[in-house]
Amino acid sequence: MKQSASKPQSLAKPKRRSWHKLSKTLTNYSFVLPAAIFLLFFIAYPVFFNIRISFQDLKAINLLSGDAPWVGLANYRKVLANPVFLQAARNTLVFTSGSIVFQLLFGLGLALFYNIEFPGNKIMRGLYLIAWTIPIIVVTSIFRWLLDGQAGVVNWLLLSLGLISEKISWLSNIDLALPALIFINVWLGIPFNMALLLAGLQGIPKELYEAASIDGASRVSKLRFITLPMLRPALIAVFLLGLIYTFKVFDLVWATTQGGPFNATHLVSTVAFRAIFSQFLFGEGAAMLNLLFIVLFGISLLYLWNLQNEEQN
Amino acid sequence: MLRKRKYLLTVLSLVMLAIFLFPIYWMIITALKPQATIFAYPPQFFPRQIDWSIWRTVLERTNVALYLKNSSIVGFGTTFLTLILAAPAAYGVAQLPIKGKGAIILVSLSSLMFPVVMLATPLFVIFSQLSLTDSYIGLIFANTAISLPFALVVLRPFFLSLPRELSEAASIDGCSAWGAFIRIMLPLAVPGLVTAGVFTFLFGWNDLVFAITLTNNDQFRPITAGLWTFIGRNNTDWNGVMAFSTLAMLPPLLVFLIAQRYVVSGLTAGSVK
Repeated sequence: MKQSASKPQSLAKPKRRSWHKLSKTLTNYSFVLPAAIFLLFFIAYPVFFNIRISFQDLKAINLLSGDAPWVGLANYRKVLANPVFLQAARNTLVFTSGSIVFQLLFGLGLALFYNIEFPGNKIMRGLYLIAWTIPIIVVTSIFRWLLDGQAGVVNWLLLSLGLISEKISWLSNIDLALPALIFINVWLGIPFNMALLLAGLQGIPKELYEAASIDGASRVSKLRFITLPMLRPALIAVFLLGLIYTFKVFDLVWATTQGGPFNATHLVSTVAFRAIFSQFLFGEGAAMLNLLFIVLFGISLLYLWNLQNEEQN
Repeated sequence: MLRKRKYLLTVLSLVMLAIFLFPIYWMIITALKPQATIFAYPPQFFPRQIDWSIWRTVLERTNVALYLKNSSIVGFGTTFLTLILAAPAAYGVAQLPIKGKGAIILVSLSSLMFPVVMLATPLFVIFSQLSLTDSYIGLIFANTAISLPFALVVLRPFFLSLPRELSEAASIDGCSAWGAFIRIMLPLAVPGLVTAGVFTFLFGWNDLVFAITLTNNDQFRPITAGLWTFIGRNNTDWNGVMAFSTLAMLPPLLVFLIAQRYVVSGLTAGSVK
């Protein structure tokens, strides 16, 4: 106090200003700090935790104390030699590609349809999103009932149409369970694909179509030379997002088949969940999740890179 | 002629929508049929008789009312915590001169991408150590870990679109930085807050992974975990499972119907921008 008072005023002033500046900076940081701490504690730390325990031999006994022996890459070696994991990896690829192809096709078809104006269009296209709002566990209950081997409506429909000759237990059939899950996931994904593609379609300037009409372009050539090229950014974004969302699907499969019958529907996420929460193989489960994470991270980078490119154009 | 064709499209759209939403109709109808007619062959698409008895059974014999209460607490709690953390942070990242913005945005965007299961083990361990398993707070924290990054990604563009001069003018008028944020910026960002809030509520209500890994005690189990247990015990009681499922679906459906336009804008804001 005494010291600052004895100093000449010309020196004291900038000091006060810098104090003012510091408090302003602190105030600025006070806006982001709570969220940043939360992200650090609940996102960054869990990711680090999974990486750490994937190099440890962690069991139920030493889970809470945390002092498990280090085992290097042993967990990864075990996982990559585990036939169930390899099957799950294959299943994940099949599940993802099957889901994406059909979601995009149906989504694009519906988006093109609802891009035409007609009475009731807006209300009806919004209602598709109901599928997207309800809990997954509810969705899986409904579809287990629809696909039921005895009284399921799907069996009745296919029998009446003469497409199958006897009732099928879809979800307990080794060859059909995974396609059945893809069917459910496509139903879930259609609204999302449709909504995003529709937003993309509505961003295409109307003048382009008017000009093309004056030039006498047919409907097909308009679709081919205006709509699809203009929709490319939205299509790429929806494709990459679909890839990310489908790769990490867990509850849909876990609640429907729990990976069965005979591991036919295990995905990487469900096999990892089983390893951790039913078999207590924490290290191996974490290794599986990290492998999945690396793939997802790669796709995410691709998505962000694409987003940045689009913004620059 | 043209008018007639337009109505043809309306009819076509109705048919497609009916096919698409048939599974939901089927769930509700199954829960309203007498037990005996559920397995009828061919299936009864329009029930000849409505029977409410299963609803009483489910309400009286299970803890469904408690589960619904738990889910409401977790859903609203998650929404509240997420918005309280995300709104100032999104404003700060969008409008204030701060170092490390890029890191926050990057962490948010990349955590949208990673699987919920990846958080389940670490959070189970952390929460066991802190005795936060079997508690509302534990579930709310866990769900916020998923929804906070999403809320940041949705809210940032909203704050970016508000002119910076507004908060500058307010601070000249003697408003503190927080005062300017709360009195001027927040009211302008209400559409964004509603969008983020609706999504967060749906995340919280619909979550299954945290619900089954972080709770054991019925007292804190959300409806998704309750339904999970109910299915485990009554696997082929389709009448009961569908009634239970209908109850689990109603609140999110209601939220969606009320805030539909925000859901659509949130879907696009969170991805393509």
